[in-house]
Amino acid sequence: MSEQTIRTSSRKKTTPEQRRRKKTIQITLGIVLIAVILLVSALFQNTNPKAGFILIIGVLLGYTLQRSRFCFTASLRDPMLTGGTLLTKAVIIGLAVSSLLFMAINMSKFGLDLSAFDIKKVAGNVKPAGVNTAIGAFLFGIGAVIAGGCASGTLMRMGEGFAQQWLAFVFFVIGSMLGVFIMVPMDSVPILKGTAVFLPDVLGGWIPAVIVQFGLLALIYLLAQWWGNKKSSGIV
Amino acid sequence: MAEKELDCLGEACPVPLIKAQNALGTMAIGDVLIVHIDHSCAMKNVPDWAREAGHNVELEEIDDGEWDIIIEKAK
Amino acid sequence: MEEKEKKQSLWEFYFKREWSYTTGAVLLSILAVSLVLVTGQAWGVTGVFHVWGGKVLSWFGINADAFPGFNGAVGKYIFANSQVSLTNLGIVLGALLSVLLAASFKYKKIKSRKQVVAAILGGLLMGIGARIAGGCNIGNFFSGIPAFSLAGWIFMVFIFLGAFIGSKMLKKWFM
Repeated sequence: MSEQTIRTSSRKKTTPEQRRRKKTIQITLGIVLIAVILLVSALFQNTNPKAGFILIIGVLLGYTLQRSRFCFTASLRDPMLTGGTLLTKAVIIGLAVSSLLFMAINMSKFGLDLSAFDIKKVAGNVKPAGVNTAIGAFLFGIGAVIAGGCASGTLMRMGEGFAQQWLAFVFFVIGSMLGVFIMVPMDSVPILKGTAVFLPDVLGGWIPAVIVQFGLLALIYLLAQWWGNKKSSGIV
Repeated sequence: MAEKELDCLGEACPVPLIKAQNALGTMAIGDVLIVHIDHSCAMKNVPDWAREAGHNVELEEIDDGEWDIIIEKAK
Repeated sequence: MEEKEKKQSLWEFYFKREWSYTTGAVLLSILAVSLVLVTGQAWGVTGVFHVWGGKVLSWFGINADAFPGFNGAVGKYIFANSQVSLTNLGIVLGALLSVLLAASFKYKKIKSRKQVVAAILGGLLMGIGARIAGGCNIGNFFSGIPAFSLAGWIFMVFIFLGAFIGSKMLKKWFM
């Protein structure tokens, strides 16, 4: 770091030797954990030939989330709360990259004219869109900010050793059961149940869908950029 | 030149950042704020924000998974 | 000594120094797509949570499959056949691995009653919200928008509004 040292912390509790020893213990446990993960993956393979691969992709997802301190909650919350839009812009970039890749897969599946289109076969998730989506997402957004982590964030912080997130997880599970009960009567009302909508299907082909999809992503990115600049010049 | 400590151990995002923002808002230029954190996201977003805002920032890992963020108010 | 310091910094570079958010986002996208290529099913997180709840109840002799909306999901459930269960376990282990290899694991206990209330309320709202919307920020949003799903876009707008209200509540009651 080029800037000068302001001061160093007076709060050092451990000696360098103790630190070094603790560090070695943690890294050793990490290496043991790799072995455990590989072993468990091999065991799961007996039940499901893909299970080991799926588990390892999950491990890589968790590693990436932690290593980059990725947080979907923060990407949605920080623009309004702290004025930060770095994460928001990163999420948009992620969405653009996966849009491109998913689009390639879906194009080869359904053809450029969508003649082989089948909503059940779309790569990625096309969930029912309706009033339920709006209500559910709204409640989810409130919950994620209060609990300090969304679905992936909660799992990641459980791994980091956050007791609060373990508690949040228990109630996440209980809430999910309640949500299933609430959904039962809603399922009989079409507007509350929602309908799965694939944009290229309703917008009349790939080209208009691509314009809408990437246009919106670009617009949000630019908005985030503008908002971040505006906020960071004004704070404190 | 005043110095203020802020204990955010055990606090999850965005609490450390908001507390740091509020604390720094009440301080004068040249004052130093030391934020104690043990949340790995805060060790990134608090320094990110403070640098963006133009302050001098120093990050120090004082124990495994525990950091001090030292912010000198610059403007 | 010098040799040792060099080693130290290499370790810091490979295992400790945090990645940029954009690096994270691009890697998550690639991993999410590779998951679809391996299994045909997109990345999700919350879809099995109610089944896990039912499974726990079954250990206490309660048959959750009799509950409305469960449709025998608990009886059919096998961990190794459930992609969402496997990736969820993977995420917890992967995050643990990351902090261990960086030597920055620390157990963080609950500090105040406010944190307890926040975890309970936040957890319940996320659970209910995810089931009503038919997916969470991963299943419906991060795996949804890239699939050109209308639900993904609606989810984005309303999770943003929810996060805004949540921030107000957090500042007022949970700090």
